[in-house]
Parts: sequence; C-alpha cells; structure tokens
Amino acid sequence: MADFDGYRGNSLEFLMRSEAGVGDMVEVGTEWGVITGTVVPRYQYDDDRHIVLKLPSGYNVGLSIDRLKGLTRKSSGEKPAFAPPPPPPSPKEDLPRVAILGTGGTIASRVDYRTGAVHPAISSEELYALIPELSEVARIEPEIIFSVYSENIEPENWSRIAERVSEAVAGGIDGVVITHGTDTLGYTAAALTFALQGVPIPVILTAAQRSSDRPSSDAVLNLVGAVSVAGYASFSGVYVAMHDSESDGRVALHLGTRVRKNHTSARDAFKSVGVSPAALWSREGLEIHLEGLPQRRKAAKFSSKPRFEAKVALLKFFPSMPLTLLEALANGGTRGVVIEGTGLGHVNSKNIPFIRRFAEHGGLVCMASQCINGRVNMNVYDTGRDLLSAGVIPLEDMLAETALAKAMWVLANSNSIEEARSMMRASLCGEITERTLR
Amino acid sequence: MKVGIEVHQQLATKKKLFCSCPIVKSETLPLQFERRLRPTQSELGHIDPAAVFEFAKGRSNVYRWNPESSCLVEADEEPPHKMNEEAIDTSILIAQLLHSNLVDEIHVMRKIVIDGSNTSGFQRTAVIALGGELSVEGEEVGVQTVTLEEDAARILGEDAHSRFFALDRLGVSLVEISLDPIMGTPEQVEKAALYLGRALRSTGRVARGLGTIRQDLNISTTGGSVVEVKGVQKLNLLAKVIVYELTRQVGLGKIAADIKKRGIRRVRCTTKDVTDLFRSATSKVLVKSVKSGERVVCVSAEGLAGLLGYEPYQGIRLGKELAEIARANSLGGVIHSDEFGRQGVSKEEAEELEKAMGAGKGSAFVLVAGDESKANGTAALLEVRLGQALGGVPAETRAATEEGETRYMRPRPGPARMYPETDVPEIVVSPRRKERLFEDVPVPWGEKVKEYEKKYSLSPELALQVYDSEFAHTFERLAQGTRLTPSVIATLLVEIPVRLTREGIKEEKIGEEVLVELVHAIDEGRVAKEAAPDLLRVVGEGKAVNVEEAAKFLKLKRLGQAELGRIIDEVVRKNRSMILSKGEDAFSPLMGEVMKEVRGRVDGQLVGEALRLRLRKRGKGKG
Ligand SMILES: [Zn+2]
Repeated sequence: MADFDGYRGNSLEFLMRSEAGVGDMVEVGTEWGVITGTVVPRYQYDDDRHIVLKLPSGYNVGLSIDRLKGLTRKSSGEKPAFAPPPPPPSPKEDLPRVAILGTGGTIASRVDYRTGAVHPAISSEELYALIPELSEVARIEPEIIFSVYSENIEPENWSRIAERVSEAVAGGIDGVVITHGTDTLGYTAAALTFALQGVPIPVILTAAQRSSDRPSSDAVLNLVGAVSVAGYASFSGVYVAMHDSESDGRVALHLGTRVRKNHTSARDAFKSVGVSPAALWSREGLEIHLEGLPQRRKAAKFSSKPRFEAKVALLKFFPSMPLTLLEALANGGTRGVVIEGTGLGHVNSKNIPFIRRFAEHGGLVCMASQCINGRVNMNVYDTGRDLLSAGVIPLEDMLAETALAKAMWVLANSNSIEEARSMMRASLCGEITERTLR
Repeated sequence: MKVGIEVHQQLATKKKLFCSCPIVKSETLPLQFERRLRPTQSELGHIDPAAVFEFAKGRSNVYRWNPESSCLVEADEEPPHKMNEEAIDTSILIAQLLHSNLVDEIHVMRKIVIDGSNTSGFQRTAVIALGGELSVEGEEVGVQTVTLEEDAARILGEDAHSRFFALDRLGVSLVEISLDPIMGTPEQVEKAALYLGRALRSTGRVARGLGTIRQDLNISTTGGSVVEVKGVQKLNLLAKVIVYELTRQVGLGKIAADIKKRGIRRVRCTTKDVTDLFRSATSKVLVKSVKSGERVVCVSAEGLAGLLGYEPYQGIRLGKELAEIARANSLGGVIHSDEFGRQGVSKEEAEELEKAMGAGKGSAFVLVAGDESKANGTAALLEVRLGQALGGVPAETRAATEEGETRYMRPRPGPARMYPETDVPEIVVSPRRKERLFEDVPVPWGEKVKEYEKKYSLSPELALQVYDSEFAHTFERLAQGTRLTPSVIATLLVEIPVRLTREGIKEEKIGEEVLVELVHAIDEGRVAKEAAPDLLRVVGEGKAVNVEEAAKFLKLKRLGQAELGRIIDEVVRKNRSMILSKGEDAFSPLMGEVMKEVRGRVDGQLVGEALRLRLRKRGKGKG
C-alpha cells in the first residue's frame, strides 16, 4: 500500500494514477527531459498542484503536475532501516539514578535523511548512544509520560507529572529531569513548585530552543546540565535548567516560581525575574547563587499535592477592555481571576463594580503587573485603593504566570475562599520576595 | 584527468538571503559567543566521517560579530526569515542565461556542515534549476545545477582550543553553478570558469571584488579517488592548482607502485607512546614538547623505510601528506625516519626507537607530539593514511593555497546529508515570474565588450580587460566624470595593476579607492600620468596608504612652469653645441634629458611643448 503523506487533491490523484507513493523511486518526464528521484512527503497545507522529488544529490525539488509528462515508478521505497545505534557505553554502578520524564518536545533525535523525518530518541540506550557523556554522569531512567506540544499543556498534565515525580521519589530516585517544550515551560515550572512542595530531591525541567536534530542544538548541554544537577546538587526543589547566554557553556538554574520565557527564540530566553538564578552549572562544576535553598534530604517522607483547579483566568487589562469580560468569565464558572494590571496594579476604574461583585460572590481576584519587573503597590493611587476595597489581592512581585498556576493550585488545595485568599498573600515557594533588588 | 568545477558567486543583493541584514564587511567585531557543534546521527546510525573528524578535534567555535552586519539569524538564535526575493530573481536570471531549466517549486534544504563555518551546523541551500549549458569559445560545457545558498562565516583564525569566525559574511546570497566534469587540459577548465564568470557578471547583479567568487574543484586521475579542492579565489590560479593536484595524484600513484614492488599487500602499522625515549633527546623540537608535558607518539609502518621521503616529483612526498594531517589537527607536523638526521634525531635514538616499537626490518617511523588526546588522535589518523598509501590517492577534501598548491583539510564527507529546512516555506516559481524575468535577461557579455570598444574607443584587449576587472562600473563613471581619455583611465585601472601583480605586488593592496584617487590626481594635474606605476608600486609595497602619501614618499611635487623653464634652460645651455650642429633633430635627445629630470612631476606632453617653444625661441633669437 503506497503512502501519500501530505498529498491531497490533484497531486494525490496524480500519484495514485501512476501507482507511486512516498518513498518510491520514480522517473518523471518534464518539458526538458527525464528526472529521477524519490517521492518525498509534502506539508499538509501545501497546494495540490506539485509533487516533491528528492534528487540523487539529496536536494528536493517541486515539480508542477500540470507540466509533467508522465511518471513511472521504478522501484518501491525501501523502508527506513532502523539499524541499532552504535552500542552505548554502559554507566557505572555507583552513579546516581536520574529519571528523565518526557512530556513532549524532543531533547535528542535522529534524522532520516531519506525523507527528512526526525525520530526522537526514546530509550536510555538511544540517549546514551546519542549523548555518550550522559553515561559518565548518571544511570538514567527515561520514560515518556505523555507527548504534548507545550502550548497544549493543561493543568491535568501538571497533575500527571507531579504524581510521576512523587512515585519516582518513593522509588528512591536521586533526581528527576523533566523534558518539556519551551512555550509554557514557565507555567509548568511554577505549577510543579506548588504541587511538589517539600520534595526532597532536585526536580529539573529542561528544554531546547533549537531542535535536537541540528548540530547546533542547545538540547545536549541543557540535558547534561539538568541530569548533573538532578544527580548531584546539594539542594532540592523545582528548577528550570536552560542556557545562561547565547554561548554553549553555562546552564542557569532558575527557581520554578521566578522564571519567565522572555525571548521567542534565543537560547537564553529563560530569565529569573527579580532574583538571580539559583545556581549556574558548567562542566567545571555548580555554583550556587541564592541563599537558603532547601537541602537535598535522604529517604524523606514525601507526598505531592497534585490537584489543580482549571477554572482560573489570567486576564491582561488593556485600554478598551469591555466591562462585560469579567462578567462573562464569572458566568462561565470561573472561580478565580489573576489580573495583569497596568503599572503598580490598576485597571480602568469602570471595572471596579464588576470586580467587587465577583469577589462578593466568592471569587478569587488577584493583581499582578504587566510590567514584569517590579512590585504592585495599590496604595499609591485612588484606583488602587478602590480595587483593594473591592476585594482584589495584591500579589507583590509575583509573576503573573506564576500567580495563575498558584491560584489554580490554591483553589484546589484550600477549604474556603478565605483560606485561598490568605494562601495567595503568603509566599509559599519563594514566589514573593520581600525586597526588590532589581 | 577529469575535473569538475563548482563556481560560487556572491550576489549583489541589498539584504542577506534569510534576514534583512545589509551586506557589509565589518572592520570591528565587538561581540562574541562560543559554541560547539555535534555530529547528528542519521537513521542508519552512521555518522559522517568528515563530521566525526571535526568533532574529534574537540575545538569550540568562537563567533565574533557586529550588529551593523549580523543579527540573531546569523547567530542561530532566531529562525530564518523568508527567502530574499531579489536573490531568487537573480538566480532565476542566471539560470536562464545558462539555459538551465527552472524547478516549479523551490525547496530549501539543510546541508550538514560541521566545520563551524555555519552557526547552525548546516548550510541552507536550494536547487533553482537543472541542466543547461555554457558556451566556451563555441564549445558547450554542460551545466548540472544552479543552486541558491547562503555563504559561510568568514574564518579569522584558529588556535589549539578554538576556531574564530566573523559573522558578517554568513548568510550572504551565493549562487553555485556546477559544471559537468571537463576532460581536457587545466587551461580549458580555467577558460570555462572565466567564461562562466563573464556570463555571471553580465547580469550586473553579482558582487565584485576579491573573495566574491570562489571555485571548488573535484579532481581525479584515471582510476583514482576524487579529491575535492576548496576555495580557489583567483581565477588565474585555477590551472596552477589543477596541475599541482594532478602531479600530486600521479606522484602518489608512483609511491603506491613502489610499495607494491616491495611485495607489500597491506601496510602494517603499530602505534606506541614513546615519550620516555625522548626525555633527553637531541632533537630540540622533541625536547621542548616533552618538557612542556606533551606526549610523543610513534607510528611505525612495516616495509615503508625510505618511502616517506621519496619524492617522485618535486614537493610530493608521503611524509608531507602526513605532516599536513598533523597540521590540520593543529599540531606542528611530524618527524619521520627518512629525515631523522635533518631533524636532529640521533642514530642511537633511532635504534632505541626501532627496538621499542618492535618493528620489523625496513620499517618507517613517524613521530607526532602534542597533548595526550591530540597526539593519539592524530596518530590514529596517520595510521589510516599510511594504510591508504597502497591505494594511491585517498578521497579527501583539500584547500587551495595562495601559491596554487593544495593542503589536506579533512576526509571527504559522505554523500551529502540533507534534509528539508522546515523553517522556510517552499516557493512556487510561477510561469509569470519566469516570463517577467525573461525580459531582464542581460545582453551577452561579448556585446557589452564590443560596446566598450565602440563607445570608449578602446582596443579589444583593453575592453575585455576592463570587462573582466572589478572596475567596469568605476571605469564608466570615471570616463564620464573626468577629462582624461577612456584608454588612459582603462590603463590606470586595469593594465598597470596587472603589470604590478606580475612584479609580485599583492593584488588586494591596490584597491579601488587608491585607483580612483590616482585618476582624479592625474585629471586635476596633481601628479603626472607617467608617475602612475611608481606611485602604485609604493602603495602596493605598503610604503604609503594613498596616492598623496606615495607622491610625498617619491618626493614628487608638481613642477611649476617657472621651474620647468629653468630645467629646460639648463639642459639647452649644456647642449648648445649639439643644438647648433643638429638643429631640429636635437629635440629627441634633449627631450630625453629633460624627462630624466622631471619624470613624474609634469606631463610629458607639456614638457614637449615647452621644449619645442624654447628651441623655436632660440632659433628666432639667433636670427
Ligand atoms: Zn541578519
């Protein structure tokens, strides 16, 4: 059965008529002569007037089916040979055990140059084969818990990860690494920090800004750094491990509650906001930059609190925000709203009656700032004071994304709205700092 | 012989191929970052030999950049933008010029390149057209492909730890044209490249200047492996490089034949660390290495004694091949047993080495020194190379040198490893676009040269020289903007510089700026045109940075009328008797004498006029 990956409409019909499919070696007649090549896949949204051939030189070219003078199948495509990778070095028995939990995004992969497909490395053998230095760092235990694009992650995914970490801790693991897409990595890091309070080992989230099929990928350094820290660091807790700069050298470890993706594409997109990174790792060693990190504990009793309330909204105030927006959220069953207000924590004062009503009906309303840096202070201007009296909880210097994850966790782990409000005001995991230093 | 040629021509687009950076060569590179590239594995589990070679060197790449010429795209910190439309148009135009057949949809590929010259670890490249032909003096040379690709980063240098690159050139549009292999003389290959270059320039849309066109060659002799020679920058070096490489290949064949004659069917090698033997060595180089904590590793090859230094042709030796491999791994070179005496390795040491290696009679020994991993890594490569000696020419990638020779770079990469650049959508080349561009197909270069001949009254040779030079546009501008005759301008721009390069002056030392300054200085009467060669020589030798300084250096000051008059008076006075006897015929010898005094300081024509006037006056005065 021929494979027609990505082909549709006219081009699909053309291929079917010629009884050729993706991977087949074909000969096509053009206005200028005969070309030999392999039919390769097309993208889903491409037009249906061309077929793509991979020439013997390795280049792909698109040819218009309207101008082709026939196509002959010469031989069927050889199925990609999944030959085993070179034998991996086996790690020493006395190395720490580190779980690598995959959630999506590929941290290591192999390229099929025949079709251009990228295959993720899944087993520990494959990972050791692709990144041999891992075998000198730890005995890794890779596992894919789910495979979801970062932007499609939902609170139930956080719960699943937290449960898995909890089980791994119970199984005596020395550290956990979680691989994740970069887009919502900051949210997941914050969510896990709350769900895994008191975790006795390091839980390190890591990712890649350049995909792992490229020679220049940042994935390897990030992964080796994450595994090293998970296996050896003296501290515990949830951190994000990503490049500290555009160079391949140091990996920064950011507190899960204070980290934000601040660049769409750069390797050092993740930055600690308002604090310095907790630590910097390089092949030379680990430097700790924040005081008071929780210490790694051996054989500690630990259970996670993995539940989240999904019905929380993060609302960025903007100048023409309709007054009905908040009402619509309340009517839709939203239990909590984190407002990203302007400046010190404001919204158009016309919204205040709606906010007051939402709070009076038992809703949780919190205020963070869209400024990213700095602290909300709602006592400086009238609007701020009015918002406070309407029941808004000022979140100090908590990041808006962290506030969302926290509100979701708080609403699922408190017994009353009063308790939830007081938990929001407190700093549970370093999400609020007392002193603004930058 | 069989020579395939690939010509890489930079395009004169306003912006780079995959971002909006301008094309600027940055003088300062204030920013830098450091990266390591890793070979990626293909589905089949094998890794490219060339990629492994580069990675095994364990060096990092340091990239230096300036925001005036690069952005995050070049830094591999941002995905590529859409492909530059101007570059696509130009490459379509070039394809049409070569009667090459355009594809209907352009697909950008990633071609794995792991020597650090691309921050991403691959080069973005796309086929624009297939087939076609180039006409070279009535003969057709087949065109294989026309591709549009991004240029690589400019290498600045390297040390034992890192390679240094500038990002300004990375991402500049490059058209690559590969021609069918030519089975003729090296001169025919050079001619094909020359004609291709002329065709490219006829578009008026390609970059000019040193380094904007580069030739890669695939050279093989009958039955031998193909050797890839990269980066011939000057056209007039092509034939020389081909001759050198062919000589090398034939020479290696002779060496192989000699090995076989000795009855050797397989070269047996042994590698050992022999550092301890050289703790108090007589060879200064080795002592220095050992004292600084380096290791000395020896590779022995049974039966090859005498063959490492054997020189079937001048400068072609197996020993040299081995040294080049060591140098490509940033070691100083090798010391081999055929030159132990010359390198200060004593007889006693040689005997002890033979014992330590436990090698049989007639073995050759190669010593390499460096830090432990590098010395051992290089020794492994030397073993491989010695093993290949029996086969004659190994497949490798070599670099062309400025002297027209070739140097080992790395093993030849396996079949091109390419996969789609998923960050760049494919581009449909509509029939309308082809038609629109068809109207832009430039006049053939031959006609353009004829136009120069007619419009500027240049000789056919000079017209072609102007066309071939980098200064065709400058020539046209100056011909219109100064009072000098076009042939004088052409001589200044192309003929004199060529003459000077034959004297050994570096072409790049005499830039456009200096030539333009010279033309204006002559036009404005600040220097005489006779002084042009001397002035340019002074600049070319680095004794002055511009014409004004060169004139000062040569103590050339424009002679005033009064002073010229005084000199003529003096010469006339000294030669009074000759003038009396020869009359009018005295002019030539007198002119010669005056010119000897004033050359370069005043235009010859003026001198002639002044002298004639003086002689006539004298004649009248006598009555
Ligand atoms: Zn750029």
